[in-house]
Amino acid sequence: MSGAKKYTFYPGCSSQASATHLDLSLRAVAPKLGVELEDIDDWNCCGASVGHVEGGTLPQTALSGRNLAKARQQGTQDVLTACAACYLNTHGVNEKIKNDVRTRQRVNEALSAADLAYEGDLRVRHACEVLINDVGIDKIKEQVKKPLTGLKVAGYVGCQTVRPFAGTESGGNYDTYDQPEFLDDFVKACGAEAVPYDPKTSCCGGSVSVYNADKTLHLIKKIVQAAVDAKADVIATPCPLCQQNVEMYQDAINKKFGTSFKIPVVFYSQLMAVAFGLDANKDAALDRNMIEPVKLAELAKK
Amino acid sequence: MSSLRTPPTADRTYDLGFARWVYQNIEGGDRVSLCMQCGMCSGSCPIGTAMDNGPRKLFMMIRAGMKEAVLTSNTIWNCTQCYNCVVRCPRKIPVTNILQGLATVAVAEGYAPAQPTAKFAKAFWTSLKLFGRTDERIVTALYYFSHGLKEGFRRAMENLPIALGMVKGKRMHLGMPHRAKGAADLRKIIAKAEDIEARERSKG
Repeated sequence: MSGAKKYTFYPGCSSQASATHLDLSLRAVAPKLGVELEDIDDWNCCGASVGHVEGGTLPQTALSGRNLAKARQQGTQDVLTACAACYLNTHGVNEKIKNDVRTRQRVNEALSAADLAYEGDLRVRHACEVLINDVGIDKIKEQVKKPLTGLKVAGYVGCQTVRPFAGTESGGNYDTYDQPEFLDDFVKACGAEAVPYDPKTSCCGGSVSVYNADKTLHLIKKIVQAAVDAKADVIATPCPLCQQNVEMYQDAINKKFGTSFKIPVVFYSQLMAVAFGLDANKDAALDRNMIEPVKLAELAKK
Repeated sequence: MSSLRTPPTADRTYDLGFARWVYQNIEGGDRVSLCMQCGMCSGSCPIGTAMDNGPRKLFMMIRAGMKEAVLTSNTIWNCTQCYNCVVRCPRKIPVTNILQGLATVAVAEGYAPAQPTAKFAKAFWTSLKLFGRTDERIVTALYYFSHGLKEGFRRAMENLPIALGMVKGKRMHLGMPHRAKGAADLRKIIAKAEDIEARERSKG
């Protein structure tokens, strides 16, 4: 596509496992939106939300240091990531390296063990922020071939996609912390209906839900219940961990609280892939959702 | 758990150097001294009711030098890292980051051997160091069986439907772990970073 803007892409570990459907659908819609993604060569894990606990603060910081050093070798274009935890770590470390001399020195001393260096001259951006600030909602609308008419979507943003960086200058000032609108804007651009949905940025328990769900099922219940109450057909989210937690624990919630939830949880990029008329499985990866998004799949067939 | 409402007695130990240590060694820790005890953090916390001490109280305990009570507090382990407190704190104290720093100290100093978070983190870091990437299958298995063989099997069976759903949706791949070719380089970087931290600690 002519006039495409190139970004260095950090897919993150979930792109090869629990969130392959985010990765596939994002890579499918990106060229339609003039976004060219070039992967960081031989990227590594960012440490997510627990690396520091066992590994220590500087080792955790150095993980992102290596990714940034590798990205910088590929040019000065912005680094883009679609995973909330990857963004939080990579962006956070990048800002520290940029603004704090001591961190820059310590990270570079660690990187020198592998003959790498990084001075902090890149920008690290979340895919959603890029869609809002660089691509724009109008361009998303232009690509819609099959509007998702009649599909009711609860836009669940989660935490780390917007907190703590969405309202900062380095984070692109693209939305608010408590009532972000970008996800509903994506939903509406695809021709679907964004239902009123209060727990937009309520917490799903994050990694605590992964290893200690008993503690956090009530948090996920609130997120699902509000979507069901709003008569949503589907919950949409940008975050890999939110998608996984809110989808895979519905059975456990039903068992614990006597509910009968079975609502699909998809990524915004899956909505876009269907609305752009792309293939339901190869591009939108609808066959990868554990709870089948029936209504969305029907719209894809039309 | 000792409470701040109880006046200090001779049998309670307060390490008054602890506050200073936190100010100087935990990232963002210097801002704990600015806490005005408004409670915005604890009130904003999605899981505050499960904490023995909310962040507000924990910060007062740091300032009171209650090292032992701080590092054994479940506040550190219940934090879901939602960053509500961080964006709302009127004094711009990076609450979440400070709890992360305390978690690292608690594990390093042996205060939290049985904590699920510590066990999970150990499993996670093992995969990361081996492959340069997280293999969700290996992390999960290592974590389950860190509770012993019997409990490991119980957890594995309990979560089998989820695992099968993941396999069916091609979200759990069945081959060798994905790895970064530079995993050995990454281990060198990690080792160097550990050396730097050890060197700084020994200088005090």
